[in-house]
Amino acid sequence: MRRIASQSFAVSSLLGATLAIAMFVMALFPMTTTANAATRPRYGGTLRVAMQTAPTSLDPTGPGSSEWFGSRNLSHLMFDTLITLDNNGKPQPSLATSWQSEPSHQRWQFSIRRGITFQDGTALTSDAVAASLRAVNPTWKVLSSGEAVIVERDSAAPNLPAELALPRNSVLRRESGKISGTGPFTVTQWDPGKKLVLAARDDYWAGRPFIDSIEIEMGKNFHDQMIALDLGRADVIEVAPDQLHRTNGENNRVEHSDPIELMALVFTRDRQSTDDGPIREALALSIDRESLNKVVLQSGGEPSAALLPEWISGYAFVFPAGVDLARARQNLAGLKQSAPVTLGYDSADPGARVVVERIVLNAHDAGLSLQPTSGAADLRLVRIPLVSLNAHVALTELTKSLGLPPPKFNGNSNSEDDLYAAENTLLQSQRVIPLLHLRTASALQASVKNWHEARDGNWSLPDVWLGTPGADKP
Amino acid sequence: MKFRRKLLAVFALTVFLSVATVALIVSAMTRRSFERANAESTTALVAQFRREFNRRGEEVVRRVETVASSESATRMALKLNHGTPDYSAYLDEAKSLAENQQLDFLEFVDNQGTIISSAQSPATFGYKDNFAFTANVPKDAFLKQEGPSEDPTLALSAIRQVNVGDRPLYVIGGRRLDKDFLASLELPTGMRALLYRNVGDIPFAPQFLTDASGPVPDADRIAQLIEQVERQRQETTALVHWSSNPADDETLHAIPLNGQANQLLGILLVGSSRRPYVELRQHIRSASLLAGGAGMILAILLSGWAAARVTRPVEELARAAREVADGNWNAQVTVQSTDELGELAASFNRMTHELLEQKERLVQTERVAAWRELARRLAHELKNPLFPLQLTVENLLRARQQSPEQFEEIFQESSSTLLAEISNLKTIISRFSEFSRMPQPHLQSVNLNEVVQNVARLFQAQLHTPGHPPIECKLELAESMQPITADPELMHRVFSNLVLNAMDAMPEGGVLTLHTHQNDEHAFIEVSDTGTGLTPEECERLFTPYYTSKTHGTGLGLAIVQSVVSDHGGRVSVRSEPGHGTTFEIELPKNNRNLSS
Repeated sequence: MRRIASQSFAVSSLLGATLAIAMFVMALFPMTTTANAATRPRYGGTLRVAMQTAPTSLDPTGPGSSEWFGSRNLSHLMFDTLITLDNNGKPQPSLATSWQSEPSHQRWQFSIRRGITFQDGTALTSDAVAASLRAVNPTWKVLSSGEAVIVERDSAAPNLPAELALPRNSVLRRESGKISGTGPFTVTQWDPGKKLVLAARDDYWAGRPFIDSIEIEMGKNFHDQMIALDLGRADVIEVAPDQLHRTNGENNRVEHSDPIELMALVFTRDRQSTDDGPIREALALSIDRESLNKVVLQSGGEPSAALLPEWISGYAFVFPAGVDLARARQNLAGLKQSAPVTLGYDSADPGARVVVERIVLNAHDAGLSLQPTSGAADLRLVRIPLVSLNAHVALTELTKSLGLPPPKFNGNSNSEDDLYAAENTLLQSQRVIPLLHLRTASALQASVKNWHEARDGNWSLPDVWLGTPGADKP
Repeated sequence: MKFRRKLLAVFALTVFLSVATVALIVSAMTRRSFERANAESTTALVAQFRREFNRRGEEVVRRVETVASSESATRMALKLNHGTPDYSAYLDEAKSLAENQQLDFLEFVDNQGTIISSAQSPATFGYKDNFAFTANVPKDAFLKQEGPSEDPTLALSAIRQVNVGDRPLYVIGGRRLDKDFLASLELPTGMRALLYRNVGDIPFAPQFLTDASGPVPDADRIAQLIEQVERQRQETTALVHWSSNPADDETLHAIPLNGQANQLLGILLVGSSRRPYVELRQHIRSASLLAGGAGMILAILLSGWAAARVTRPVEELARAAREVADGNWNAQVTVQSTDELGELAASFNRMTHELLEQKERLVQTERVAAWRELARRLAHELKNPLFPLQLTVENLLRARQQSPEQFEEIFQESSSTLLAEISNLKTIISRFSEFSRMPQPHLQSVNLNEVVQNVARLFQAQLHTPGHPPIECKLELAESMQPITADPELMHRVFSNLVLNAMDAMPEGGVLTLHTHQNDEHAFIEVSDTGTGLTPEECERLFTPYYTSKTHGTGLGLAIVQSVVSDHGGRVSVRSEPGHGTTFEIELPKNNRNLSS
């Protein structure tokens, strides 16, 4: 079941003469033949990746492991989930070949693919899958039944397949402190937080990856990654959203996702007084998201006053993201700000400081005093990647990451109205002020072939192959 | 106080005052020199600051000019003339150029003051710069405050204009004036430079004060100086006490730093530590104390030695004088020098020598006179009985020859006369013999009042002898007279002699007074009469043996009195005036334990 996404030769069984002519032409123009050969998938080679994330554990079920795209992408290299989501957020078979649920969406049954082995050689069974899911989801009732796994939830879970596509629900086997997955690569070297070397599995159930191995350098900032790319020491690097425009303009090959990472201001506490509501609203109204996106972040995202991006929810435009200083000042009229609101940010993120300074200036225009700090604060600038292309799951996971109460959906309905109502409720609580949805991007060497960055920023490295160095040059 | 001690004290005081005076003078001169050097160093440092300021200013101007003439600035100016620039294209432009030109601050601003790109605050694009633009772009560098108004940074800035089209582009760049700038100044040891950022009308804020090493601890101590400079806008100098230790004191010279619009943006403080001066002063004091102490010890030793040299002859003279006073007329001092003290010693020796000779001559003269007097008295005393003896013997011889019949009768009468006169001769001889053999006193406890009363009773009858004018005897005896150690018989004889002497002095009658009194150590007995009195010459010779002013008597009575009183460790004196009677006073020690009995 070899997947070949690039061009392949189609041979017409009817046009033998045509074939003969074609062979003749090929014989006459050897250069054309060479060019075509360069576009063919090629096995072998080591893909060198640099990334900013510096995880100290490879366990995808660990806390915070999905908060960075890098970690999520690492997870996909070594572990599989029962279900995957396509670019439209629709569940697709993976370790589970099929699934079905009862009408109440409380009980689900997944059929496990046969003939799969973990990286340690152990066969994948429904018992192993059930054990793996139970370990991560203690509130679920997970049973194995023959070659199927049954999941029972306390309440309706219409989006359970999408939940099972989350990295934390990766199927893995733990033995003697070691974890083993069913993914396309296996670990050959692991220097926590610094370097990871993976080797392709010849027996991967979806077919052997084209590349032999992947060397991942971790903890590299964007600047160092760019230097590594320029010097040819890395084949794939991450690109910061605010560098996307510039990197693109420097004739680099850049692939980016749809806006998938939420940048927002999150209040650490609920409203404490009646003044907090108008103040928070004034702050939201004073922020010039357009300038933030266009200038500070170099159009690396999209301004948004919603938690979910427009392309996922379809209704984000309903929440106004424009500046309304007059209304902001009107909100603050008669209110006396006792002390500046402290605005915290991650000092390790160089772009965050500029964003915060701009927000401080915007707030000042409205008459609101903010005090930037890299320590504990009343308000924090956060960047949270959306972990699922399923809107409901994405919103639920987002609230977890933001420390907000989980959204309340209406029964087992999966409708957009419910989603909107839940998100609107969250926004009305004024705990969070969405600013932008940022894209994730990667810069690649020309030798990296068949790179497809998913809409949610996920890599698909098993499909990547490395071209012959210099083959693309004229 | 002894002369030696006085001399020593004068020497020590002189040395101390000398050292103290020298120390004060040296200290004052040191302070003056230090302050002069301090002022010179401050002036030099201020000049250095201004040179460095100008040099950096020129450097900033050059760098800003480089930026203004760059292609980036030209492109930006061109865009500016085509409408509102795309801020996103220039977000990092200023930062990048500032890094290239090593500028801490760089901003591109349009003619409305709108920031197009800012290196120090990239987020301020589209906002107005608070710099007051004037028609004329300043040629030189100037001071400017950068950053938030509540916590500004002082910058040495320059501005240049890029003229492409109608809308000029301003390039404002600068370098930070902070601790690194202060650290670049070459400061002499003990000096430092501090910088205070002035923030509008905010009173002194310690966090705005820095020196080359960072924030200044206890910065509040210079608040007064800062506020004074803020008020007066002129250079001011003050002494700042950083702690209770004077060595931590620092003289701060404050120089106001004004901006382009003559607003006070900062204050440069040139600090000069007083530690070297205080330590030098301590050293001077210590050295002075040491020198003073050593000087005083040396002075004591030297003055002791000198005083000894000076006073030893004087003390020897004093000792010799005391010996002379005690009767050793042969006392001599050693002449050790030829100076005035040597002359004094020699004169003293000559004096005692002369006195001794004179005394010997006087003694010899007195001895001759005494012998003469003795001879005269003996002759007188012996002549009186001898003359009747001669007449009696001649009568006997004449009677045997001329009247043998009456010889027997005359022989009998003459024999009686001869025997009487021979007896008289014996008496005279025995008195002289008795005087020559005065017995040693047998000491015992004696109540003088009783002795005096016994004597008065003994002579009571003679005082009222019929045919003689009466003499009244008055006893004025001290109450509770303590007994003394004396020989009662000799005392009785002394008082008897004095009473007899008084009676002889009052042939016309009068009053005899016997008076006793005492103090802690002595008992006193006075015998007074109201007789004719004595002349001073008589008083002088009164106690000379065999001297008498009377027509009868041996002249031994008062000599015996003096002899007995002397044997008791006492003394006898007389005071008298002619016509006013005479008083003999005897002073006896109460305790004669030291006398051999």
